[in-house]
Amino acid sequence: MNRAAVATRLGFREQRRRPLLIVLLVGLPFFFITRAIAQTEEIPRRVGLPGGGEVLTTMRDIHGADMAAITIGFLAGVVGVFVMQSARQADRRLVVAGFRPGEVLAPRLVVLGTATLLVTVVSLVVTALSFTPQQWPAFIVGNLLVGLIYGLLGALAGAAVGRLGATYLILLGAMLDVGIVQNPMFGSGTPPAWGAALPGYGPARVLVDAAFASEFHAWGALAIGVAWTATLAAAVLGTLGRLVAVDG
Amino acid sequence: MNRTALFAREQIRTPFTLVMLIAVPAVFVVASAGVLAEFARALGGGLAGEAASALGAGWAAAFIAGTLGFFQACSARGADRRLALAGAGPARVAASRICASVALAVVASAAGFAALELRTGIAHPGHAALAVLAFALVYLSVGVLVGSLITAPLEGSLAVCFVFLLDVFSGPGMTEHAAPYSVSRKAADILIAAGLGEGSATGDWIKLGLVVVAALAAAFAVFVLSARSRA
Repeated sequence: MNRAAVATRLGFREQRRRPLLIVLLVGLPFFFITRAIAQTEEIPRRVGLPGGGEVLTTMRDIHGADMAAITIGFLAGVVGVFVMQSARQADRRLVVAGFRPGEVLAPRLVVLGTATLLVTVVSLVVTALSFTPQQWPAFIVGNLLVGLIYGLLGALAGAAVGRLGATYLILLGAMLDVGIVQNPMFGSGTPPAWGAALPGYGPARVLVDAAFASEFHAWGALAIGVAWTATLAAAVLGTLGRLVAVDG
Repeated sequence: MNRTALFAREQIRTPFTLVMLIAVPAVFVVASAGVLAEFARALGGGLAGEAASALGAGWAAAFIAGTLGFFQACSARGADRRLALAGAGPARVAASRICASVALAVVASAAGFAALELRTGIAHPGHAALAVLAFALVYLSVGVLVGSLITAPLEGSLAVCFVFLLDVFSGPGMTEHAAPYSVSRKAADILIAAGLGEGSATGDWIKLGLVVVAALAAAFAVFVLSARSRA
């Protein structure tokens, strides 16, 4: 078995020793998505779609469409902060012992991706109990992109500003971006022009289209989301690769 | 420099953390002012205008203080045990840790209140300032409690978030009938009243004082017990 595979297996074993983490990653989405949707009133609301045009829906359906993304962004971001932070010391020692930086970082990214996938699956299953989007495949992709983007941002923030600062930054960032600026529940129902500069813009527009349009039009938004994900993944590999290699 | 000041300095030795302590409440109050009333209406609550902004300041201070309290309690377990064994004693170490967190929570509360005052010019500034501080102290206690019981930073942070979100969705303003388990309920009632330009009765202040004192006492007791069991 090659060294990266061994490191990946050990990374998962480390997570399996933390049953409370699994409980929280499953329990938090279940509790909050169910509660948020059930508590929201069926107030009529007009929402702008990415392909042009508008749709008349309700606050409850919009909350159904966006609550999963908000939850996934929060949880993946925090997991990103701590998975990478907790691994840095051990990873440095592995590099000193002869591992290449890529061989120790790739398994951490696999663990982060798996945690994001777990949170996404749980959130989508819970959402499905109360809300049905028009296009499930695009809805899944949009939510997964939110998780990957915020998980990677969490990893970068954890490396740059420490645990406490990164936790504040990620939770505030996810709340402002996905929870307020991109959220069709507020303002005109369409994000402001400057909102396109934020990382949640692409996935959030994909989600709105997937939730309320019968055909997919948000190709541009999807490309923006994929570009953010690829850029952040490269930045995480570059930044954390340098950090684990420096002391080695 | 005494122990409390050293503990406070330990948390803010990264300048970015100090920036976030001040920026997060201020940014949250300004950014959420326009949307909290809409959000409350969607959830069936009756919050409007400046009352919504005021509640936002309380939440921001609560979130900052809760996370801070958690990291104060969990991040220095080894050092605290050695300090206690070296003669400082678990009670004095706990008191110093909690006092350091209170000092930082006051900074975060002041930032949130200043943003609120600048944004809305609230009618009862004294009441609002005290209620925002009460939010911070209650959540500081929640953070210290969680940090004393849960050692892992990721799980503990998520547990603090869980309590916070549960409170947001079940507290006054966001729902027609606030749940009895909403830990910030009393602070929220006074803050909402201040936002609406109304004062609060003496009885409400006494209840809020009791909640804050009970929360801090519980945090102190659990911190001491956990420090003893570690020592």
